[in-house]
Formats: sequence, C-alpha cells, structure tokens
Amino acid sequence: MSTLQGSFRDATVSPARRFRNDLATVLMWVALAVALIPLAFVLYYVVHEGLRIMGWKFLTKNIPVIQRTKGPGMGPAIIGTLLITGMATLIAVPLGILGAVYIVEYGADNRLARVIRFLGDVMAGVPSIVMGLFVYTVWVVRFHHFTGFAGSLALACLMLPIVIRSSEGMLRLVPRELREAAYALGTSKSRTILTVVLPAAASGIVSGCLLAVARAAGETAPLLFTVGLTSKLNSNLFRNQNTSLSLQIFSNATQPFAGAQQRAWGAALTLMVLVLIFSVAARVVSGRLAKASS
Amino acid sequence: MATITTEAPPPASPPPNLSARRPAIADRTFRYITLACGLLVLLILALIAVATVSKAQPAFSHEGIKFFTTKVWDPNNNKFGALAFAYGTMVTSLIAIVVGVPVSIGIALLLTEVAPRRMRKPVVYVIDLLAAVPSVVFGLWGLLVLKKPLDNRYADLNNWFRHIPVLNTLFSGGGHQGTSFMTAGLILALMITPIVTSLSREVFATVPSAQKEAALALGATRWEMIRSSVLTYGRSGVVGAVMLGLGRAMGETIAVALLIGSNAQITAHLFRSGDSMAGVIANQFGEAFGTFRAALIGLGVVLFAITILVNLAARVVLNRSERQLGGAL
Amino acid sequence: MRSSRLLRLAIPLMFIPLVAGACSSSKSSSSSATTAAPASGGTTASTAAPTTAAAKVSGTLNGSGSTFQAAYDQVAIQNFQQANPGATVNYQAKGSGAGQTDLQNAVVDFAGSDATVPAANVANFKGQLLYFPTVVAPITVSYNLPSVSSLQLSATTVAKIFAGKITNWNDPAIAADGNSGLPNLSITVVHRSDSSGTTQNFTDYLNKADPTDWTLGSSKTINWPGSTVAGNGNTGVASAIKGKSGAVGYVDFSDAKASGLVWAKIKNSAGNVVDATLAGASEAAAGATVSSALTYDPANSSGAQAYPITSETYIITYAKYSDAGKVALLKAFLSYILGPDGQNAASGVDFAPLPSSLDQQALAQINQITAG
Repeated sequence: MSTLQGSFRDATVSPARRFRNDLATVLMWVALAVALIPLAFVLYYVVHEGLRIMGWKFLTKNIPVIQRTKGPGMGPAIIGTLLITGMATLIAVPLGILGAVYIVEYGADNRLARVIRFLGDVMAGVPSIVMGLFVYTVWVVRFHHFTGFAGSLALACLMLPIVIRSSEGMLRLVPRELREAAYALGTSKSRTILTVVLPAAASGIVSGCLLAVARAAGETAPLLFTVGLTSKLNSNLFRNQNTSLSLQIFSNATQPFAGAQQRAWGAALTLMVLVLIFSVAARVVSGRLAKASS
Repeated sequence: MATITTEAPPPASPPPNLSARRPAIADRTFRYITLACGLLVLLILALIAVATVSKAQPAFSHEGIKFFTTKVWDPNNNKFGALAFAYGTMVTSLIAIVVGVPVSIGIALLLTEVAPRRMRKPVVYVIDLLAAVPSVVFGLWGLLVLKKPLDNRYADLNNWFRHIPVLNTLFSGGGHQGTSFMTAGLILALMITPIVTSLSREVFATVPSAQKEAALALGATRWEMIRSSVLTYGRSGVVGAVMLGLGRAMGETIAVALLIGSNAQITAHLFRSGDSMAGVIANQFGEAFGTFRAALIGLGVVLFAITILVNLAARVVLNRSERQLGGAL
Repeated sequence: MRSSRLLRLAIPLMFIPLVAGACSSSKSSSSSATTAAPASGGTTASTAAPTTAAAKVSGTLNGSGSTFQAAYDQVAIQNFQQANPGATVNYQAKGSGAGQTDLQNAVVDFAGSDATVPAANVANFKGQLLYFPTVVAPITVSYNLPSVSSLQLSATTVAKIFAGKITNWNDPAIAADGNSGLPNLSITVVHRSDSSGTTQNFTDYLNKADPTDWTLGSSKTINWPGSTVAGNGNTGVASAIKGKSGAVGYVDFSDAKASGLVWAKIKNSAGNVVDATLAGASEAAAGATVSSALTYDPANSSGAQAYPITSETYIITYAKYSDAGKVALLKAFLSYILGPDGQNAASGVDFAPLPSSLDQQALAQINQITAG
C-alpha cells in the first residue's frame, strides 16, 4: 500500500485536516495502550504474587484442608486440570475432526452438512454456564455423584464446536489438486481423506486443537456444578469429586484470608503458564505450516 | 476463534467408475462414521435445548410472560422475575461494547494502516495473549487489585459529575461500589477486545488497496483515507465483529459474577452493584430446587436464546459483508 | 515431509494430561497418606490426636453446605484424616441451601446446614433425615469504620439498618444506642448472594427481636432492598465488608475474627449489651428448647448474658444408606465431631461446643444410621 508523503501533501493539507489526522493517529496508539496496560498489570500481579508462593511444594503438596492456613499446596488442582482437560480433549478432538471431515468432504451438495455446520456455529455461542447446567441435570443428578468425568463432558461440549470450526477451515485449505491426484491414482474417498487430506491439514488442525485445549483448561463455569471439591489428589476421573485450578482460583478469590489469596495467585500463575504452553505450541505448529506452504 | 471463512470451491470426489476397484463397504463405513460424528453436534445441541427448556418449563408456565417483565426475584414466595438480571446483562455488555469497540477498531486500524509492518506480529501475539487469559484470572485480579482503587475513582467521579445533567444520573447519586456494573463492564471490554480486534483486522485487510490509493491520490490525509475507504468499506464487517463481541460479553459468567456485586436492582447509576443472568445462575443454582431451579434454568434458556440470536445475526452480517468485499475484487 | 515430523512432535503435547494422570496415580498413594499439616503461621488449630482408640476407617465421604460451620469442619476433617489415613472427607462450603439440595439429589453423603429443611421440601428427599447439631457460634454484626473502635446497637437499630431504613452512620438512632464519634458516611449493607442458613438465622433473630421494623421475613434468601452488596459465603461477606468503608454485614464469629473484622455489641432481650463471645453463645444455646429431632433455636435467647444472635448448625444425614462402608465412615466422622476430641477442638477455631446434654443425645442418635 503506498502512502503519499513529503512536501507534496504538506503543501496542500490545511492545518485542521492535518490536526485531525494526527489526532486520529494518536488515538489509535492510545487504543493500543488502553488494551495493553491492563494486560501488563494483570500479568505483573499474577507473576509477582504467584511467584511468592511458587515452588516445588506448591506444585506437589495437597491443598490445605484448613483454608485459613498460609502455605503452599495446589498439586491436586493441577492434576485435576490436566486430567479433566485431557479427557475432554480425548472426547472432543476425534469427534470434532471427523465431524469436520464430514462437513467438508461429504458436504458439497449436502444440506445436512450445511445444517451441521450452522449448528456448530450455534453451539459455539452457548454460554459455558449453560453447558455446566446441562451436564448437571442429565448426568450428575442421574448418577448421583460429582466426578471429574462429568466436568470433562461439559468441557468436551465446549471444545467440540471450536475443534470442528478450526478443523473445517484447515481442511478447506487443502488444495483440490491433491485430492484429485489421489483419485486419479484410484484411491477411494475414505483412503484419500485418511492418507492425503488429513496429513496435509495436520498442522493446522493440531494448532486449532491446541488452542481449544488452552481455552478449555481455563474454564470455570462448566466445572462449577459438575466436579465438586477435594483437597487430596484424585487421579480417578470416574470416582469421587475432583478439583481444578480454575475452581480453586474462583473459590479462593472471595476469601479474606491472606493464605487463601496467595494460593489463588499461585494457581493463577500455574494456570497461565499451562495455557501459554498450549497457545505457544499452537502458534509454533501453525507457524511451521505457513512456512511449509509458502 | 472466529474467522471469516471464504467459500472455497467444494473438494473433488472420485469419479464413480473407479470406486468399484475397492470394497465399497470400507468407504461407506467411513462416511457413516464421519456422519455420526457430525450428527453428534446436532444431537448434543438438541439435547441441550430439550433438556433445558423442559426443565425450565415449570417456571415459564408458573410465571408466564411476567417472567420477563417483573423485577421481583423472591424464591421464598415463588416469585421469579428476570428483569433485573436481564438488565444487568444488558448494561454490562453495553459498557463492554462502548468501551471495547473503539479500542478494538483503533488497534485494528493501527495494525493494518498505521504501524510499521514489523510491529504487526508482536502486537498480534500480545493481543492473543490477552485472549488467552482465563476469565477467572481477570476476576481474581479485578477483585484483589482493581476493586479498591476503582471504588476511589468512582467516589471522585461521583463528586465531579454531581451537577452535570445527564452524567449525574449515570455516575453520581452515591451508593458506588468497587464491584458494580461499571467494573464488570470494564473487565468485559478487556475480554472482548481480542476477538473484535482480530475480526476487524481481517475485515480491514480485505479492503482493496485500489480504493485506498485512489483516496490518497485525490489528496486525502491518511485519516481521511481510512474514514472514506477502509471504514465505509468494512462497515458491515465491523458491525458483525461487534455483534460477535456482544454475544461473547453476554455469555461471560465468571468474571462478571465476581465483579458485578450480586445485588439484583435496576438502576441507571453505573457505579452501583447489580446482577447478571449468568451471575445469578452461578451464585444460586447450587441450592435451587423445584420451581426455583426451573426459574434459574429458564434464565439459562433465555441467555442461550439471546446469545444464539446475536451470534447468528453476527454471522449473517459477516457473511454478507464478506460477499460484498469479495465481489468487488 | 516436514509437517508429519511436526505432527509427531506436537501430538504428544495433547497427551501430556494422560501422561500426567499415569504418573500421578503412582504418586497418589504416597501423598494421600501424609495430608498437609499447616505449614507456617496460620490459625491455632487444635490438632489433638484422638484419645479413644477407635478402629481406623477408610474410604471417601462427601459433604457440602454451610459456610458458617466450614472453619470448624475443616479442622475436624484434618484431625479425622490424620487419625484415619485411609479416609478422605470432602466438604464443599457453598451455603446451607446448596448443601440441602445436594443431599436431596443424593450427590453428597451429608449436608452441613444452619437451618432445618423447609417442611415443603422434606418429601423430596430420598429417605428419612437425621439432624446432628455439631457446634454453636455467634453471628457477628461486623462493620468497617476505621475511626470507630467500638459500637453497640439495639435490635431495633440493627433491623432498621439491614432493612435500609437507616442509611448513614451519623443517624441519631445509632448515636442513641450509646455511640459517639460516628462519621458522615453512608452505610453499605453486605449480605449473602447464595442461599444461606446464616441469613436465615440472622433474619430469624430480626424477626423475633423487632418484627415491626423487619418485614422481609426469615429464610435462606431474602429480597434485600436498595443498593446493597452481596458476598458469596460467610467469607465472601467478610471480604466485602473489609473492602468497603462504611460497610456492615453479618458474618460468623470465627471468620470475622480470622479476617480481622470488628463487630458491634448487641443489646439482648434481657436488656444487657453483650459482646459476641463463645460464652455468650453457650449461654444462649443452653437456654434454648431442643426438639425431639434435636433441632433448636438459640436466637434472641432469654439468658442474662446470652448473645442474642447465636446460631445453631447441623450436619444432616439420611438414616439409611446402601453402602455399608460409607455408613461406617460417616458414623466414625460424626463420633469424632460429637466426641470429646471434636468438641474440644471447637474453641480453638472460635466455635463453642454443644451443651453436654445435647451432645449426649446427638451421640446416641448416631446409632440410628444404618446400612440397608
């Protein structure tokens, strides 16, 4: 895009117009600052306060039963987050990718595929608390227990539309010619999809899934009515209550006790690191894709 | 992440006579498997709709239309009026839009038109970082760090605007709290900025440079070029982005529940505490039973319906704008 | 191809959670045996080892409900888990109403509740219910006025403040109760946002002590008037009071003390101004009539030095459970709480033990819990 600069413009622009132009430019930079300054504050506090309690003990010890105690311990919450999100990923990712495959590969002249795609968009907009309510009424009450798995179900419902939408976008980017070449060699449709299309779209799909995982790991509302609470480590998703970093942050945020607040900051730092790992991984994977295809 | 999906030409299918070479069973099985997965979306959504509406039905039949028009929420006397919560959701979302959209558009314009090219990637990374912060961390920070200083600023603004006609209804009148409509709205603005920014950026990037260069060639300053070419051209796309941001703001639960003050009231004073639909569900669902629970699920249904409508409208607008921009090329 | 190499690197990232789960299951057996003892500072929690040589029980017990009793429950759970390393008790403090609903849906084994189940809901429960009173404590009227170190209030003033009829601290009605140096500061009433037995007991007191000024009834959720602030749980209310100058709210004694709040002395029905103390609470509890179901109401009690806003609290259980192991665990847990060790541990965390006759009755009631 070319910009006209220099004396030609200066000679013809009135001061009023120049002022408006400069003002607009300044305001745009101010807008950037307005977004970045709070972010910097949030990160500063999370890191500064979180580091105070961070340490090996914090990551491995059980959560203190007595909420007023000062001192580290968030191990069960970290494992809870990883397990619950992991199970949700296991459920949502294969289903989502295969669903996207149907929409893209078999959906050319297929109204059903268009409906599914439309509904996927609708589902992406369901508030996360409604997902939690839904799993509570159909699963938790029916089976009479809070479990980590119920939380995974709610998270999977949240992740599914995200995975479908991003996988769909990636599949559509695979060039037509690739498929045609495979068909020309006599490959069946399913084999083409499995051995040519999916590998070609792999980086993009993986990147999208990692972003969905990052989003799910930070969610609180779907877990509120499904997972319960525990202070001891529970690695069994199907029996007994569990907890997660997000739930611990939520419950400790409203406590007046310094010890509980400290643990909340530590949990926030841990959660942010976790989310960042997945987000950065997603970017690295998709960045390589861009390089590979350019 | 919402992106503008361009309708690429549909992928090819194998010519019919070749499929006889391989057993059709495997092919068809695969197709059915993928179909089943796709149908799962339909099934889950239908299940959510049916389960929530049926469980909410007792409250709707009990209250009728009054559910939406009364503000009295009194579980003990079985009176459920959602008006105060709907008001809270609307007000906080509006504040989020009013504060967040100009900021987002400003950043989007900055990235596409003004900033040097090598600044783009780092700034995009940082905006994505903003998107990655979980809602509960915003709530924690808002409660423990922002609440007190904001309350002091509200006290100041309360005094400054006391004698100015319209503003004093919004900002003065006492009763200001650190946890209030305004605080929740401000945090929401921060949370919707990434999505509105990235969508707007895509819209602005699609504006044909011929348009922009034409404006510049006629002697426009950069701002005038932006206003006449980029903003007019991308207007419907930006509207779509804003509506998507609105949908996100309305569905946001945790940060709002922590920062809005949990006091069901309808007031124009933005520094007072209020309550939102998602927030009251989060706070009161644990204990609800019978008609009370039905009423809370009913709130969930209403929220569900509103966010779906807003998101759908946003999609329609975005698709239309994308066709507009695409068609002009 | 480069992207397939990337795939091989990136996909394992998505399975980190599974690997973590696999590694953790070998850790879990060692970590659950050594439950975390308070590390540094913190409360003076009594960690007396049980003197009775009870057989060790194991398993997991789930409860939820009242935040009023939460601080005591946490101490009891910690001591119980230390004495029974194979046992895990999870108690999620989310309000009496939520606990009752969880018990109704049988998603927990017991509910902590400061209030009895409303008559209309009893039929929704899956079986007969048993009430076990556990401890007693004052509900404080805590306030945030840096310049005012002590405050005394009559029932009428308290009712008017919470009903929104008195809106400023310099109101003459407050001064008339025997206070001076009150600032010109508007009152921010803080109450519960969740369904709360503490709310029910507090409003029960207001109903009894001043029915003319308090007209909003007594229940777990109140239609609070005007511009107030709500907190989630007793601790949420304490946080909210601490965070706002001019705030006043109702918080259980233990949480108020641990949060560094100050509270008002209240004039009781005998006409004496009484501070919120465990002694005042015990006197109030001793003067209350106990029903056959072991429920009682110490609010606005008639004792001379009784603290009028004293609250009872219960653990509600079913009489019959299908799981025999759960029954054994539940009975052991209740035996600890109602036994000498559990009752002695109460004062260390600012709760008063039950009057001994009530304690004996409750201990005897434990035998009514059966498997079947």
